[in-house]
Amino acid sequence: MTEDKIQNLLQKADETAGRPTPVSINLSTVRRRANRKRIVSVAVPIAAAAVIVTTVGLWGLTARNVKTKKQQKIASLQDQIRQLRARADATFDLVHEVLENERKQQRLDELQAQLASIPDPIEEIQDQVDKTAFNLVYQADRMYQELNLKRSAIQTYKRVIELFPETQWADVARQRLLEIKNSRYKKDSKGDLLWKPQNVHSSC
Amino acid sequence: MMVMAEKNDDENLVKWRKPCCAQFSQGDQAEGLDGIKPPFGRAAFDRIVERYSADIAVLTNRLLGWPNDVEDVVQDIFLAVFVGLKKFRGECSLKSWLFTITINKCRTYRYKQILWQRKTIPKLRLRLPPNRPADGRLMDSEIFNRVRRCVTALPAKYREPIVLRYLQELSITESSRILGISENLLQVRLNRARKRLRRELAELLEE
Repeated sequence: MTEDKIQNLLQKADETAGRPTPVSINLSTVRRRANRKRIVSVAVPIAAAAVIVTTVGLWGLTARNVKTKKQQKIASLQDQIRQLRARADATFDLVHEVLENERKQQRLDELQAQLASIPDPIEEIQDQVDKTAFNLVYQADRMYQELNLKRSAIQTYKRVIELFPETQWADVARQRLLEIKNSRYKKDSKGDLLWKPQNVHSSC
Repeated sequence: MMVMAEKNDDENLVKWRKPCCAQFSQGDQAEGLDGIKPPFGRAAFDRIVERYSADIAVLTNRLLGWPNDVEDVVQDIFLAVFVGLKKFRGECSLKSWLFTITINKCRTYRYKQILWQRKTIPKLRLRLPPNRPADGRLMDSEIFNRVRRCVTALPAKYREPIVLRYLQELSITESSRILGISENLLQVRLNRARKRLRRELAELLEE
């Protein structure tokens, strides 16, 4: 019953809405639209394909150019790296050489300092010779004056003259011998010992 | 299979299956074309337009919510008919085939309309007039407008069976074939559609 009511209500509502405006279907218009639709259905995929192909081509060219540019850039960077490496090697060699020279110079200075600190052996020997000659002269003076060993003193003076003839003590020894000889003459004539050794301590 | 969705309660986009006329039996032959049998050539198109344009316009008008200006949609329908006429093998009746195309075109048109409305008017809601007791003597145009708006507001899966069954007065079998659904499903949808209409138009149906 309700279904009939609904149907009745719907049909009345449909009737009161009125008929749609008459539609004039023009065959030529439909055919023209169909042709246009067919053309569009063919042309659109072709245009899309053309666009895709063009895009892919342009993209390929761009990618190739980008690749070439990248390769050039990489080669340039490699050259720069090679040059920088060569410069670094040269700088390293130079630094190494400078450091080696400095090390050598430092070693040379050290050696020179050591050499400068070493005393002259000749002077050392000369000092030793002088000291020995002095000791001998001193002993001989003591033997002659304090111990009254005239013969031993004369032998010691002669030994000084013999061993160290170039030193001043050889001259002193000659002078002592001369004085001893003179004192013999004086002793022989007067009987006293007049000679006294002189300049022995002052010269030391 | 063409699947589309309706979510808005006003339009209630639903998934639907494109009706396929190939499932019609061989008994549904093209009728009323004075002996012209498929495959139809372009010569038959004029006769098809002449015979069915009014019916298709009425059905389109009902499916689109009685806008009364359905010329563009009908033009599109007959364009599809013209393009697909060579492929029509006559395995179903010509009327069913035309109605199937009409329903598909109307669905597409409504879907485009909904998309456009959602884009331009984000929250468009169909405002139904407030329920007021009807005049016992006369159902004025306002009441019928309300009935039409209620039908228009139904989801497509309920509106189409209502239009085919109660306005086009097609049988259950024919309606289910046109819609591409089983008869049971059509009965279920009709029942649900009636419930909705009863709920919306309760005071009108009580009288």
